[in-house]
Amino acid sequence: MLAGKAPGLQHPNSNSILRGLIITLAYDDVNRTVTKRLLEKIGCEVTAVSSGFECLSALSNVEMPYRVVILDLQMPEMDGFEVAMKIRKFYGYHWPLIIALTASTEDHVRERCLQMGVNGMIQKPVLLHVMDSELRRALQSASE
Amino acid sequence: MQRQVALIKQSLFDQGYLDEQFVELEELQDDANPNFVEEVATLYFKDSARLISNIEQALERGSFDFNRLDNYMHQFKGSSTSIGASKVKTECTMFREYCRVGNAEVFSLFRTCDECRCLRTFKQLKKEHATLRKKLEQYFQASK
Repeated sequence: MLAGKAPGLQHPNSNSILRGLIITLAYDDVNRTVTKRLLEKIGCEVTAVSSGFECLSALSNVEMPYRVVILDLQMPEMDGFEVAMKIRKFYGYHWPLIIALTASTEDHVRERCLQMGVNGMIQKPVLLHVMDSELRRALQSASE
Repeated sequence: MQRQVALIKQSLFDQGYLDEQFVELEELQDDANPNFVEEVATLYFKDSARLISNIEQALERGSFDFNRLDNYMHQFKGSSTSIGASKVKTECTMFREYCRVGNAEVFSLFRTCDECRCLRTFKQLKKEHATLRKKLEQYFQASK
C-alpha cells in the first residue's frame, strides 16, 4: 500500500533518509510532546497520537505515507504489543517500520518484539542521538 | 540576570532535583521553539497535579487498591522521567515498590505497614514535587 517510493530514499546516505512521515504513539502528554519534538528536531514530519485506534486510523490514510511508527510499549490501559500486532495484521510485515520504546531491555521483551515484527527497540528515556541512529539503522536495513 | 539563571540551574542539578534528561530537553529548544522546556514543564505539572489528586482520592477511600495506585505511579514515573525530575522519579519508584510488596502481602498487619510506607512516600513525593515546581518557576522567570 504505502510501501512504494517513500520520500527521502533517493539519497540513502544523506540526512534525508530521516525525512519522512512518522507516527508516535504515547499515552501521556509529556511523553508525546517530547518524543514529537525530538523527531522533528532530527528532520521528521510527525503525527502524534494517544491511542491504538488513532494510530491505526492515521495509518489507513492513503494520502499520508507513514514510514515509521514509534510505539511506547508500556502504556497504562493500552497494550503496546497489541497495537503492534494489529499494525502487522492490517498492513503487513514490511511497512510501516515499528520502533518500540521500552523501559526494560529484558530478554522476554526483546523476544516478544521480534515475534511481533518490531523493527527496532529504544530504551526509555529516549535520547536524541539514540533515536537518530536507531531510525537510520532501521530505515537502512529496510531499504536493503 | 544571566548569572542568576545559571546559579538556579546549577543548584537544581547539584541538589538532585533535575538530571541529564532536563539537558536533553534543553537541546530540543531552538529559535523555532524558544519556550519548549517551559511548555513541557507546564504540561508536566498540569498532568502530575491531576495524578496527585487521583492518588489522594484513591488513598482517602481507605482500602488500598495497590494495582490502581501502581497504575497512577507508573504514569507519574513515566512523565517525571521524561522531564528529568530526578527526586520525584525516585519517590515514584519507591512507592511502586511498596505497592508491589503490599499487593503480595498475606498478613494484614504487614500489609498495614506497607500502606503506611506508601502514605509516607507519597507525602515525601508531594513535597519534592512542590519544591521542584517552585524552583522551576523561579528558573523560568529568571530566564525571561
